[in-house]
Amino acid sequence: MTGSEGVVVGLIVNPVSARDIRRVVANASGLQIAERTNIVLRALSALGAVGVDTVVAMPDRKGVRVLLERSMQRDRNLGRTLPTVRYLDMPVTSTVTDTHAAAGQMADLGVAAIIVLGGDGTHRAVVATCGRVPIAGLSTGTNNAYPELRESTVTGLATGLYATGVVPPLVALVENKVLDVSINDDEVSDIALVDVVASTDRYVGARALWKTGSIVELFVSFADPEVIGMSAIAGAIEPIGRRDQAGLHVALDPKADRRVMAAIGPGMVERLGVTDWSRLKPDEARKVAPEAGTLALDGERELELSPGDRATVTLRTNGFRSLDVGAVMSWAAENNKNLTDQQKNTDQ
Amino acid sequence: MTTVVGTRLITYREAINEALDQEMTRDPSVIVMGEDIVGGAGAPGEDDAWGGVLGVTKGLYGKHGDRLMDTPLSESAYIGAAIGAAASGMRPVAELMFIDFLGVCLDQIFNQAAKFRYMFGGKAETPVVIRAMVGAGLRAAAQHSQMLTPIVTHIPGLKVVCPSNAYDTKGLLIASIRDNDPVIFCEHKALYEEQADVPEASYVVPLGEANVVREGSDCSIVTYGMMVGRSLEAAALLEQEGISCEIVDLRTLSPLDLETVTESVENTGRLVCVDEANPRCSIAADVSAQVSRDAFGSLRAGIAMVTAPHTPVPFSPSLEDAYIPSVDAIAGAVRAVTS
Amino acid sequence: MADNPFPLDREGLLQAYRTMRTIRGFEDRLHLNFAKGEIPGFVHLYAGEEASAVGIMMHLRTADRIASTHRGHGHCIAKGVAPHEMMKEIYGREGGSCAGKGGSMHIADLDVGMMGANGILGAGAPLACGAGLAAKHRGDGDIAISFIGDGASNQGTFLESLNLAAVWNLPTIFVVENNGYAESTSRDYGVAVDSYIDRAAGFGLPGISVDGTDFFAVYEAAGEIIDRARNGGGPSLMECEMVRFYGHFEGDAQTYRADNEVADLRASRDCIALFRGRVEGAEVVAAAEFDAIDAGVDALIDDAVASALAAPEPDVSALMTDVYVSY
Repeated sequence: MTGSEGVVVGLIVNPVSARDIRRVVANASGLQIAERTNIVLRALSALGAVGVDTVVAMPDRKGVRVLLERSMQRDRNLGRTLPTVRYLDMPVTSTVTDTHAAAGQMADLGVAAIIVLGGDGTHRAVVATCGRVPIAGLSTGTNNAYPELRESTVTGLATGLYATGVVPPLVALVENKVLDVSINDDEVSDIALVDVVASTDRYVGARALWKTGSIVELFVSFADPEVIGMSAIAGAIEPIGRRDQAGLHVALDPKADRRVMAAIGPGMVERLGVTDWSRLKPDEARKVAPEAGTLALDGERELELSPGDRATVTLRTNGFRSLDVGAVMSWAAENNKNLTDQQKNTDQ
Repeated sequence: MTTVVGTRLITYREAINEALDQEMTRDPSVIVMGEDIVGGAGAPGEDDAWGGVLGVTKGLYGKHGDRLMDTPLSESAYIGAAIGAAASGMRPVAELMFIDFLGVCLDQIFNQAAKFRYMFGGKAETPVVIRAMVGAGLRAAAQHSQMLTPIVTHIPGLKVVCPSNAYDTKGLLIASIRDNDPVIFCEHKALYEEQADVPEASYVVPLGEANVVREGSDCSIVTYGMMVGRSLEAAALLEQEGISCEIVDLRTLSPLDLETVTESVENTGRLVCVDEANPRCSIAADVSAQVSRDAFGSLRAGIAMVTAPHTPVPFSPSLEDAYIPSVDAIAGAVRAVTS
Repeated sequence: MADNPFPLDREGLLQAYRTMRTIRGFEDRLHLNFAKGEIPGFVHLYAGEEASAVGIMMHLRTADRIASTHRGHGHCIAKGVAPHEMMKEIYGREGGSCAGKGGSMHIADLDVGMMGANGILGAGAPLACGAGLAAKHRGDGDIAISFIGDGASNQGTFLESLNLAAVWNLPTIFVVENNGYAESTSRDYGVAVDSYIDRAAGFGLPGISVDGTDFFAVYEAAGEIIDRARNGGGPSLMECEMVRFYGHFEGDAQTYRADNEVADLRASRDCIALFRGRVEGAEVVAAAEFDAIDAGVDALIDDAVASALAAPEPDVSALMTDVYVSY
């Protein structure tokens, strides 16, 4: 999008990801606010270097914004050029509502892409309302099955190269799978990017899922043996790639003889009882086991089920678009997009 | 002390505000810092929301802007920073909200500010003023009501001021800000609403000068702070009994104007020291010992001391009232030394 | 009645509500009576913050110790200090928790493990380290908790205590009650990075941040970290992000808050209303039962105030007692 603000990219930083109980029960890493701010600053430098004029950001109330503004002022004092960062005018509740609102507003504004810092939950929240705006994910959460652990300078560069039109969408963007969750024919509906876990627990409480004794089944949109989290259980049984047109459905039982070893959380390796598993086909609605009490979406308990509720999970292959950083950087190199003549520079 | 007829009545609190305002206008190196001295920093409502917890600094932000700095709740850090800034060419006025919080930042005050000039062979100047609320009477209980003047008076290198009225407050604060040594400026919180005639123009009441607020011939009462008012009340009662009291308001506790005190005792021959602090190592004990040493021959009776008891400040109103030296206790002591 | 999906049984849920509601009733009444001029000195009210005190304290034994802040009434009630004694103390009467000599900011009851509200910010943190040290020596799994505000988290004593607890592996937990305001100063101004977990991380301590208005989030997280401390897992930090309804002290006009800020918070983030809504919604407790508790609490507070007003001020001889054990 170019207009009075020039090329605009969105930025959503979840200040409260990686803040939950897994830091206490499992030695999980917690990325400090100061570190998240540095990640953003590096991405901003890169965006600025390739001509992104404006970054529209989600406001927050617990530290990233205040520190970022202070840091940007310091960087300006040192003569560094950064895009203008403009905060959306919206109420701040420090809950996922903020992320939904911000992503929706950024989509309405027509931003070229949204850079997201967070874990699976944050990315999920952005996807819920960003429509077809592609996201460029950076992992700062606990469960990072979806977003990549990648140097933000490079993600910023790739995002900027796509946003300024140097790299075309066919190269830069890929489609991602999601799991659609429906309760009672869409009386309640939600999505997950990576996994849906059904457990017999009946309350949401401190949200993060870490006790496995009550899990009865697991649905995943991809099964990567190299990640941690509940989807690691699937990855340990039958790997399925992010671009494969399938998902996996696993039935679990703590009393089962057959056990799978999986890294279900940071520092947490367990052996879980498995009774059965099968591939999910796109657009095929699978029923959730009737004894399920809560559904955790991407690692966080989200939906409470009452007895008699009918829940289904469906794999959808064109859930959302994301930036393929590797593809962008390779294509730019192969097509000489990083080379410029001095003369051409002064003309622009 | 002369009062010019026709000047205005303002409160002790307003006098502090005015002194700060006038000194900040006169001297750009004066900055003011403390917890909520402006108030509302970073918050969505009004700026200058408080102007200090009891409103003493209200309105200064509008006139002097960033030279008023709200601080985080970190006495060690910001009192220390004020001291460091003073040692680096500025003239900070830092507020220690209650002198009871002295413990949190004591090292910066007594080991750093107080000792720089001496330890560094005469090459340092630390013109910092630390304003602190002192005293009991507001039912603020044990950790918000103390009179810790003896502790800071004891430390070589610190000056200590404790005015009893709005006129002295303005002049002494201006003098303290202009003084090139660290000054602990003690404001009695129970006196904030007391009014006096205070000239609008800037003026100085010199440090180290006591003030004879009442002349008399039978007994000298030496005191400071809120006890000055109580001593005046006691003197009025005693006058009716034919006992004439002279009252010396110390105003500055360090340096002490011992000369005015001994002159008074040489005239009256009797001394009662009245001090809101606890008795051990108090200002009363200190003055008594010095007078004994320097004017023993003039004394016609033993010296009496009227102080708070050796207890923390109690909360319950009736107990707090019993804690603070009363008019009756002061009058009783005078009667005892004059009988 | 439906199945109970909550981590507390019915009795527990009722007790949680009763305790939170007692704190709210107590604080609301003080707000009214202070405005009438009945109460001497300064009071700092905990209304709006109940879920933190109760969600945490329900995991504690009598022998566990807590060090509180100047805003300590909620901690006192949740730890088991008698409301009647507290009310007498606040009114400065005989029979008060501290015999009328401490006042609101200094209420303590060491018999129930309440090491005192404190007028000096940050002073409780080292004290809680000490209680943790003693508990570690006794070896019976007791713990200590230091409550501290977002503003006081800038005090050296707090940071030093995190370090000390870490190097000695003390069973001491630090709870930062972050209501966003240090007196009138916002955390955005006064706290360099508004993350207390990050401060703890600097000392190698794990931390967890919860919505302090969500009783169940507080309860669950507190349970984990308390259990960890009891079993030799050492210190940790919990941040409860919460809201205070009244001013810093009674008499504070709160002009530093946005228009309608408090009204909006009362409407959307009242921890007691949220708790009641969830539990009633799950049909585990009926509205009538909660209403009965409300009535009971109101009667209790009425009685506490009446007995405080009826109690005499301490005899003047009390001025001189208990300075020392012996002298």
